Amino acid sequence: MKLPADLVKIWAFAARSVLINRRNVFALFEMVFWPGISIFSVGLLTKFLQLNQETVTFVLIGAIGMNTIQIAQLDLSYSFLYDVWAKSLRHKFIAPISLSHLLLGTGLVGLTRGCLVFVIMTLLCTTLFGMDLGRPGFTGLVIFLAGMFLNAAILGILVLALVLRFGHRAEVAAWAFAYLLFLLCGLYYPVTVLPAGIKEMAQFVPLTHFLDYFRHFYGFPRVSAHPLLYGFLESMLYLAASFLLLKITLKSARRRGILLKLSE
Amino acid sequence: MTLALSPAIAMSKTPAIDAQGLFKSFSNGCFKPSKEVLRGVDLEVAHGAIFGILGPNGAGKTTLISILTTLLLPDRGRATVLGLDIVQDAGLLRERINLAASSAHFLWCLTVEENLRFYGRLYGLGGRALAGKVEELLHLFDLTPYRRATFDRLSTGLKQRLSLAKTLINTPELLFLDEPTSGLDHEMAVHLRQEILRLNRETGLTILLTTHNLREAEMLCSEVAFLKRGRLAATGAIPDLQARLGLGDHLNLIFKNGVPRVDFHRLPGVLSCEIRGSQVDLVLDRIESRLAPLLREIAPLSPEPPEVRVKEADLEELYHEIAR
Repeated sequence: MKLPADLVKIWAFAARSVLINRRNVFALFEMVFWPGISIFSVGLLTKFLQLNQETVTFVLIGAIGMNTIQIAQLDLSYSFLYDVWAKSLRHKFIAPISLSHLLLGTGLVGLTRGCLVFVIMTLLCTTLFGMDLGRPGFTGLVIFLAGMFLNAAILGILVLALVLRFGHRAEVAAWAFAYLLFLLCGLYYPVTVLPAGIKEMAQFVPLTHFLDYFRHFYGFPRVSAHPLLYGFLESMLYLAASFLLLKITLKSARRRGILLKLSE
Repeated sequence: MTLALSPAIAMSKTPAIDAQGLFKSFSNGCFKPSKEVLRGVDLEVAHGAIFGILGPNGAGKTTLISILTTLLLPDRGRATVLGLDIVQDAGLLRERINLAASSAHFLWCLTVEENLRFYGRLYGLGGRALAGKVEELLHLFDLTPYRRATFDRLSTGLKQRLSLAKTLINTPELLFLDEPTSGLDHEMAVHLRQEILRLNRETGLTILLTTHNLREAEMLCSEVAFLKRGRLAATGAIPDLQARLGLGDHLNLIFKNGVPRVDFHRLPGVLSCEIRGSQVDLVLDRIESRLAPLLREIAPLSPEPPEVRVKEADLEELYHEIAR
């Protein structure tokens, strides 16, 4: 079977990401250890605070969402960062590839790793803290996951644009950038508790709407009347905008010599 | 082993590289003046040639090669490579060229074979075509024993060989080598130069290389261009450049019975002459064709033939002459 060249190029990035993850023991840490610590600490905090089961679930959904998004977006960020660390970025961009090949290939691995983290975290939450994940049903779960991966994609692409614009100085964004989003979207609390001004800003974060949608299955009132509509609309808009920004940044990097600087 | 590297490279009348008035400057920050690296470079490279860009560090060699390989956009000027515009047709052009950077950098945790497979796939190679190409390159560059070694475990020489192997993964029609032997020991550098020559001779591959190693340029290049402060100071075949700049081979004649009465300046091919006691120092344009007639001219006037010492002109002189 001869795969079309575009599929081969996408597969190139996916296969490389798999190899990188397989060779790096810390990739396993990323998937199990840190998310596990996060679930344990948040779960135990809910026990200490003697929260009712619905509120425990509310908080744990946030913790699961955070870890899933973080892992999925990291794979996109790594698609550049590994080349920056290996000083091999120029080899990639002298090849006839487009950003879509790169994003789809690494995104595929990010999606798989994100799903795995989601399953592991859910199992932990169910067995240790009695969370009932079956309540939203299969469709609700798939929609929630889709929302998280869209957010991860937006974050990942923005990190790539930052690395291409600011070079090594922006590497930290790969890990830190997501927390700004988590602060706004009401990860462990309803957005209604956010201060005025920031509360309104939260409505422009698509993750806010997906959390809102998923939490309503557990009896929490919806903040927005149409969370899925706003969530997907904002996600698509931001995804298109971030992709455009990345394309512009890449062109600017070719003009400013950043690709060469990051390969030295 | 028969090389299966070259496509039927069309020896068209248009040059492989045709650059006109390339300018490039880099910003040094908001409030500092930008640094002008290329200041109107014109360049023409014929198909099938090994063309050398020479110049000291900071002359703009890597900038020029990066523009021609589409990694960098020029500020002004235009260039076509293999008949394709480097800005408008960059995507198409990337299919047909490849580059080896001055130092080999690949992902440290991937093996030699995995690195080659990855880059092969980036050029759309899959299945048997990819497997065949990878095997061929591993064999060609004696990398088969190291196929399962991760990049971080390779010696500098092996890394450089992998770098060259990677450049051939897409069977390019034009190869850019940015200081290909930089950092290699003498033996490995010689081996690599032989590989480059072999590739050019056996496949007709056009090669543009940058170097500040003059011996390397002498050994490899049919034509060179000297880049000096962002401008091409001189371009041409090495002997032509020597002639143009009045540089030539040195001939030292030692006469035991004194210098005969010969007007050395008027002898054919003599660029300069200096008489010191019983010795005559001549600079000739081409020693191989001038020496015998010159000695025949002197013979009737000198009872004994002179002792002859020859020092052929080299790029070192040429380089210093241009760099002055």
